[in-house]
Amino acid sequence: MLPLDAPPKKPGRKLPFSPWHLFLMPMAAIMLLPLVWMVVVSLETAQQAHSYPPVLIPSSLHFSNYPAAWNTLPFGDFFVNSAIYALTTVAGNLLFCSLAAYAFARMRFAGKNMLFVVFLATLMVPYQVLLIPTFLIVKRLGMVDSVGGLIAPNLCSAFGVFMLRQFFRTLPIELEEAARIDGTSRLGILFKIVLPLSLPALATLGIIQFMWSWNDFLWPLIIIDSTNHAPVQLGLSMLQGAHSTEWNLLMAGTVMSQIPMLVIFLFAQRWFIRSIAFTGINQ
Amino acid sequence: MTARAERSRAVRLERPPVWRRILWSEHLAGWAFVMPAFILIAIFALIPIGWSLILSLQNNNLLSPGHYIGLANYKALAKDPQFRSAVGHSLVYTVLFVPISVAGALGLAVALNRKIRGIRFYRLAVFVPLVTSTVATGIVFLWLLDPTFGLVNYILHALGLPQQQFLQDPNEALYCIVAMTVWSWLGFDVIIYLAALQGIPEELLEASEIDGASKWTTFRSVVVPLLGPATLFLVVWSTINALQLFDEIYVTTRGGPLGSTTVIVYYLYEQAFQFFNGGYGAAVAYVLFLGILVVTLMQLWIGRRRVYYSS
Amino acid sequence: MPGVILEEVTKVFPGDTVAVDHLSLEVADGEFVILVGSSGCGKTTALRMIAGLDKPTSGTIRIGERAVNEISARDRDVAMVFQNYALYPHMTVYRNLAYPLRQRRMPRREVDKRVNEVAEMLSLEELLKRRPAQLSGGQRQRVAMGRALVREPKVFLLDEPLSNLDAKLRVQMRAGLKRLHSRLGITTVYVTHDQVEAMTLADRIAVLSDGKLQQLGSPQDVYDHPANVFVAGFIGSPPMNLLRGTARAGQVTAGQLVFERPGIQDGDVVVGLRPEAMRPVVDGMPALDFRVDVVEPLGDEVIVHGALAAELIAVDTDATDGEVGSINGTGIEAVARLDPRQRPAEGSTIRLGIEDSEVHVFDALTGLAINV
Repeated sequence: MLPLDAPPKKPGRKLPFSPWHLFLMPMAAIMLLPLVWMVVVSLETAQQAHSYPPVLIPSSLHFSNYPAAWNTLPFGDFFVNSAIYALTTVAGNLLFCSLAAYAFARMRFAGKNMLFVVFLATLMVPYQVLLIPTFLIVKRLGMVDSVGGLIAPNLCSAFGVFMLRQFFRTLPIELEEAARIDGTSRLGILFKIVLPLSLPALATLGIIQFMWSWNDFLWPLIIIDSTNHAPVQLGLSMLQGAHSTEWNLLMAGTVMSQIPMLVIFLFAQRWFIRSIAFTGINQ
Repeated sequence: MTARAERSRAVRLERPPVWRRILWSEHLAGWAFVMPAFILIAIFALIPIGWSLILSLQNNNLLSPGHYIGLANYKALAKDPQFRSAVGHSLVYTVLFVPISVAGALGLAVALNRKIRGIRFYRLAVFVPLVTSTVATGIVFLWLLDPTFGLVNYILHALGLPQQQFLQDPNEALYCIVAMTVWSWLGFDVIIYLAALQGIPEELLEASEIDGASKWTTFRSVVVPLLGPATLFLVVWSTINALQLFDEIYVTTRGGPLGSTTVIVYYLYEQAFQFFNGGYGAAVAYVLFLGILVVTLMQLWIGRRRVYYSS
Repeated sequence: MPGVILEEVTKVFPGDTVAVDHLSLEVADGEFVILVGSSGCGKTTALRMIAGLDKPTSGTIRIGERAVNEISARDRDVAMVFQNYALYPHMTVYRNLAYPLRQRRMPRREVDKRVNEVAEMLSLEELLKRRPAQLSGGQRQRVAMGRALVREPKVFLLDEPLSNLDAKLRVQMRAGLKRLHSRLGITTVYVTHDQVEAMTLADRIAVLSDGKLQQLGSPQDVYDHPANVFVAGFIGSPPMNLLRGTARAGQVTAGQLVFERPGIQDGDVVVGLRPEAMRPVVDGMPALDFRVDVVEPLGDEVIVHGALAAELIAVDTDATDGEVGSINGTGIEAVARLDPRQRPAEGSTIRLGIEDSEVHVFDALTGLAINV
């Protein structure tokens, strides 16, 4: 393992390109292979998919797997459910976490520090501990097997409160003080001054929450029974349950379920990477 | 009473309300802002934490109210051979997953931290698996590792190596899960390491070079120590996540074959939601919690003494 | 045996930026040479090429007799002090100092001896167990120097080592550096943008602009006989007043100022007057009127700003273009340094003269000094 590069190319080198390519190319190939294979199989006929040796390059592209998968199970519902789940939890988090984070960052009220410690403490507990009782609570609230039941426990996270509070504290307080002197209400300050300046942090939280909700599996598995209410990942697992040996069909379903996230990722790469790097910096 | 005393008494009577009024509104405002988050977290985090503890002391089938049995669940857990083996599997998984993914990510990050053509593509290749869901990963690998039709066995065959049963072999399944999850999560560690690497001033590396150090020595003596905080974070984070492994197991092996991939959380799921031993499941959850806490604290304690923080 | 030689060294960065342009200079063994110029003039790049951190696009660099172009920085036996010190933050001062020696596989006892020697030389004994974060700026700087010196290198390279220190510390360290050099006698190449540092520390100064060497000479030489308008305007504080002038039939006229230069070619010229060279007129001196606008008393001298009875021009010493380019008649003040006893009143007009020998003349097109 060699550390950082020396100054630019030396004359008289044997290769016209950096030797790092010899390592990075195979590495990239290995990382992408499963996904590429997923797409290839999704375009094969059942016969091609189940042949040995495996058909590496199908002679023709069998797109009909996709509508077939779509029609086998209500994929349309899956996507809608996931979209509602993801977008609502993102909105909820952005709103509620901002309010609480602002209060912790800038306001003074009795019991503030204790309350913050309590919030933080919940982060220490793995969510498996919360799983069973949350199920019972959602059941009591009559929200089992509904998208509402998916959303409710995830509308506000202590992580989001913590993250936004850290960020708000880095903003120059003079702007808010000036607004207070001008008579703006606390709420007004939050929405007109603080939040517009916090777009990077909000984007980070939004992306993290969106990805988490979109890819969530265990909670939907526990809460949702009927196919129509399933979000995408659970739906995919249902497809697997129903058609576990029709691999071409299953791959088509898998590809479809991953496309939204991949597309968002490709377009918003920089934000994603920032968001993830951010979680590390906060340690 | 003198006129003066009267006036000052009147003033004193007048003050408290105003003062209290201002203070009240500040307090009220604070609580108002915090209320929605507080309610949600109270209902969906605080109460469950407590309720879980209570459940773990009960015999509860999640359908009808349970009854108290004291510490019986915990005592049973201590003797439960299936739980023991679940813990064993989790530990084996963790002990493999964490070093492989952290060390691998370090190497990859170093390789990816340069300005050669196509570096964006290479980085993307490493990050994309992060975005795919655990379910998708499981399904794809299930097919890749299929003993009869899988691509991996085909490649092994082409290389003259013996065919494997992979996820259908009780001796291999857990290791396949390790490989699968490393593939899946490597990108996260790489991103963290890349950010940390880019935070090391170029000058330090140049100074080391001028001081006579080889590239490897520079890496070992300057870069790695300065990556200490990132490494500690990744080890702690990866360990916590490794101990909570579930999704990939459910999608691929359902804990098999022959229970060889039943890890702690999968065991919990089986107990609570398949066998309806809610109280028992809650006890498993609490034991997991304690385990994670202890391991994390130990790691942090070791780390604190050996990691240099450049603030 | 020469110390460091640069032969026609050129460095072109991707994007076709020419940072160093056919730079040739020779540093004698044990000599203290300073590369001076404003930001972007190529001095740091030149230094880095000597160190081996950047490769020249063309030209040869020699250390001793040996061409070192193909030799990596680790094997060149040079030591460098970086502008931001580049101390290893996770190591104690002792380990920082010991690091270069450990790389040479020196035995422990020997390492310990050398480290303690250097620590004593730089007054670092008390700080050996501390980490860089616990040190002040001046202390860090000394550790950086110690780390460089502990190896007894062939060449000692310094990249603006004093620029991060406050003024008082800088003056102290300058003296310290000079003492060190006379004691150790290591060939030293030093880079700075501060011409005062250059003048006080160097055996010889190399003035750079736009990647090219403008002049190489002893500090006094460069001050007394600047080779071109750029050097004239760069060296000296406050900077030289530059006037637009004309040469005709052996006589040079710049506004009111008239003086003889027999043999000079007819044409446009730039006339340079150092503020400290101008004084109350004595018979026979070339002289001109000076309208005083601002008077700055400094105790031992008085600096006056104002307008000269001549057209002043500016040579932009910050630009990458050292030639006489920007001609800006308005807003350029003339500056003179006078004896406090002759302190003039603001608003008054005085007559200042200058010795004929102290008037500098440069060709207006090429900027080169005209020595007739």
